Amino acid sequence: MFEFFFKYPRADYARSDLVFTAEWPVAWLVFIAVVAVLGIALMLWRHRARAAPGQLAVVWVLQVTMLVIAGAVLMQPALRTEQLKMDDNAVALVADRSQSMAYGDGVRRIDTAIDNLEAAVSESAELTTLRYAFADAVDRLDDFAALEPDGAATNIAASLVGIIDGARSQSLAAVILASDGIDTSGALSTQQLTEIAALGVPVHTIGVGGDQMPDDIELSQVIVPDKTLPGTTVTARASIRHDREGTARIRVYDGDELLATEAVALPANTTMTTALVDIDLREVGYHHLQFSVDTGGDEPELRNNSRSALVNVQEQQFRALYFEGEPRWEYKFMRRAMDPNGDIRLVSLLRVSPNKYYRQGLETPEQLQDGFPTTRDELFGYDALIIGSIEAASFSEQQLELVHSFVSERGGSLLLLAGPNGLGNGGWGQSGIADLLPAMLPPRASDSFHRYKVPVRLTPQGADMQMLRLAQPGEDNRAAWSDLPAIANYQELGSLKPAASTLLDMQTTTGNQPLLVTQPFGRGHVYILATGGTWRWQMSLPLEDQRHEKFWQQLIRALVANAPPGISLTASGGSTERRLRAEFRDDAYRPVEGIAVSAVVSHEDGESFTVELPPSLDESGVFTANVPLGATGTWYFEAIAERDGEPLYTTRTSAYSESEEAEYFNIRRNSALLRRLSEATGGQYFDAGNLDGIDELLRYSTAGITEQIFRPVWDAPAIFLLLLLVKFGEWLLRRRWRTI
Amino acid sequence: MPPQSRATTVLIATACLVLAGAALGQSAEERHANPPRESPGEFQFVRLAYSVNRFMNYGGRSQAWQTDYPDAEHHFLKGIDRLTTIDAAEQGHVLVPLDADIFDYPWIYAVEVGHWYLNTQEAARLREYLLRGGFLMVDDFHGSFEWATFKSSMERVFPDRPIVEIPEGDEAFHVLYDLDQRIQIPGRLFIMTGQTWEQDGRVPHWRGIYDDEGRLMVAINWNMDLGDAWEHADWPDYPENMTALAYRFGINYLIYAMTH
Repeated sequence: MFEFFFKYPRADYARSDLVFTAEWPVAWLVFIAVVAVLGIALMLWRHRARAAPGQLAVVWVLQVTMLVIAGAVLMQPALRTEQLKMDDNAVALVADRSQSMAYGDGVRRIDTAIDNLEAAVSESAELTTLRYAFADAVDRLDDFAALEPDGAATNIAASLVGIIDGARSQSLAAVILASDGIDTSGALSTQQLTEIAALGVPVHTIGVGGDQMPDDIELSQVIVPDKTLPGTTVTARASIRHDREGTARIRVYDGDELLATEAVALPANTTMTTALVDIDLREVGYHHLQFSVDTGGDEPELRNNSRSALVNVQEQQFRALYFEGEPRWEYKFMRRAMDPNGDIRLVSLLRVSPNKYYRQGLETPEQLQDGFPTTRDELFGYDALIIGSIEAASFSEQQLELVHSFVSERGGSLLLLAGPNGLGNGGWGQSGIADLLPAMLPPRASDSFHRYKVPVRLTPQGADMQMLRLAQPGEDNRAAWSDLPAIANYQELGSLKPAASTLLDMQTTTGNQPLLVTQPFGRGHVYILATGGTWRWQMSLPLEDQRHEKFWQQLIRALVANAPPGISLTASGGSTERRLRAEFRDDAYRPVEGIAVSAVVSHEDGESFTVELPPSLDESGVFTANVPLGATGTWYFEAIAERDGEPLYTTRTSAYSESEEAEYFNIRRNSALLRRLSEATGGQYFDAGNLDGIDELLRYSTAGITEQIFRPVWDAPAIFLLLLLVKFGEWLLRRRWRTI
Repeated sequence: MPPQSRATTVLIATACLVLAGAALGQSAEERHANPPRESPGEFQFVRLAYSVNRFMNYGGRSQAWQTDYPDAEHHFLKGIDRLTTIDAAEQGHVLVPLDADIFDYPWIYAVEVGHWYLNTQEAARLREYLLRGGFLMVDDFHGSFEWATFKSSMERVFPDRPIVEIPEGDEAFHVLYDLDQRIQIPGRLFIMTGQTWEQDGRVPHWRGIYDDEGRLMVAINWNMDLGDAWEHADWPDYPENMTALAYRFGINYLIYAMTH
């Protein structure tokens, strides 16, 4: 319809400018228009006796409108369009040849991709076509005839940059990429998208493959700490991708030993279900954990049902400092809950009388003999700090600054406990560390501490935390919390800050109030436990009930484990590439300056190489590099910091790479990734088999060599219809007014 | 008023009275409901009200646990408040061994335990209490006969745990005060007789029972009377230095119980 009235499709108008092609002088046009408008007005004025002023005005408007339309036609309006010079440009057809393109329901994804690529340019035969295939690298092809899906990895960003860069000798009008969107190098980062968009060539994408595979379940991800302590329970988060409702079972093996098994319900209303699996790791050393999931049914791809992770169980000693202002039961029972021979040394400083402090858990007789630490070296040697029922005024200004730095710079964890002299009552809300705290504590004048018994409840946020898992594996954790005895006392916290998370709450007579809250601050974390009365769990429950002990052991373990060591090395990232991050800080946790860092990367089979780690531009004392991991298996990393050629520090880590199996995971089409790529580069996403409009997109592509074309629109039927309408309307009105 | 209307009026009035009565009843019930009681302090002195061994003659009285009550704890609690940072309740509290609330008070005091009798059920309750982390201080019993009576019940509590002398270096004697002197703290009989001992208990013993982690659970003051020293803190004739020493032992036991 649009095209009938306006001569060309609506899209042509959208991509074109409307211009006048007549070369008449503008001054003449203005002169003629003014004379015509005044002439019409004069003529009507002479007939003013035959019509009312309003009627004359309407007639004047209609006649001027007709005059304007006629004038516009005389100016020869036309559409000016930028269009490719077809013979001078090329289009790149890019086919994904990675192993995931072998999947398909009857027809392989790669065959669908090739068919669609060829169809996309069939109506733009004048364009030169360049054919490429990519997986983790790019190949230029003469045709797609012999293309097989044999690439072991997919790197879309690097491949595109290579193609566009390599085709600079040609005038590349567009790239058409057909893929299932599965990128084993990790999702396209904003930086990568910006880099591709900066090349100025639109990338049109064709998504192939199904975005659902109802018969397949996949162990999409397993998150498990890469280091832990002997005898601890590690909680793994296993995410299962599924497209229909059902049940599955997760099994965890350490070699031949079955460590854990967990039944998981797969609900119908989601496609990703995450299960928590508790694993007991007792022996020191590397544990190659194998996770597998199965439903008991047939699946098109079984290789994506298992994943591996490497956990290094190593001895490590943590230190926590507990400063308490009064002898009380919470102090006693917290200390008793901690294993004296365990890996966490709880050093405590207790004010037993106004003039005497009692120390426990000491490593040396001199430790804390002068009271609370006054230097960075002394305080930063602890991983966590617990402050009990003691006033902020008991600390000097310098000590409060140290506590602040302990959290924000050293990355230590701070836990504040309730008490008659703690939290709001102790003036901590107005202290030098108030900004660290997750709550706006009440003022000191209002007594916020109450010795009423109140029951405790696990919040949804807390339910996800390993440190708050009191139930035995396979048991209901909420039930383990709900039948705990009431705590002996509580303290009001005031309003929480926006970044605070409530992990436990309590039911007081005035409603639910937060009990355990936390928030990150700087490099560290701050917690508030708004009670000094969890000891009732120990005294009120049978001796064999270990929930009180477990609570404190896990809470303090979480505190110390959150604190980063001064020297560390991590290897994070995807299956085919890891990002090494080495950090070097001295005893006072100040970044070490003037060092050069390199890392030796070794595969379990003996292959090894060295990479340089340049200093990070964002963080002092941090050195980073991306390391490609070619083979599946265990990789060991050792970062060495040197000054003047002399090694100063060494730090190690390890990771298990599944680089050769990466293509078997995430095998459902990732349309979102392809859409993002097209949108970022000015291209368009198409589903395979529905390429309507792609030839137009190519013809009017803004990249490549273009030319301007002018298409007249003065003879569009809409203009003549408008003229007739105006004139007919005037005739009808004048006839009605009997002025004709 | 027609009879039918009168009957309706009576019915409505009766219903109103019933409803008003119910409302008033509810209000009264609410008024008398016990509001939650706020605990008066972190530390509450709990005296154990035990039964007396039927073979013992306690001066014709059966309430041996009441000895020195309530002045002993009254004075001792003042001392705790004055000399330590412990938030202590002003008044003491009395509980029988089988009272379920006993687990809310991790420190208990038993006096004249040379006369006590714990049956199997009470002994089991006390064992569970101590192993969970409770602390028992026993005091004011003298001589070998009373020791045997005490031990008889104590062995029902812990058949397999020995009663030992508390070593000099134990933290119980150093946690606040360094109590290196072992002086027999006498009862008030001393004022009249000048004799610091009772029966054949000439030598004072500071004994104890430890848990598997080496923590003192039961502090046994045999052949001495800290309770009298606390009780008679305001009696001019009672030696002030003995009261001070008794305060120190009591406070050390208490701080030890709150830290170990």
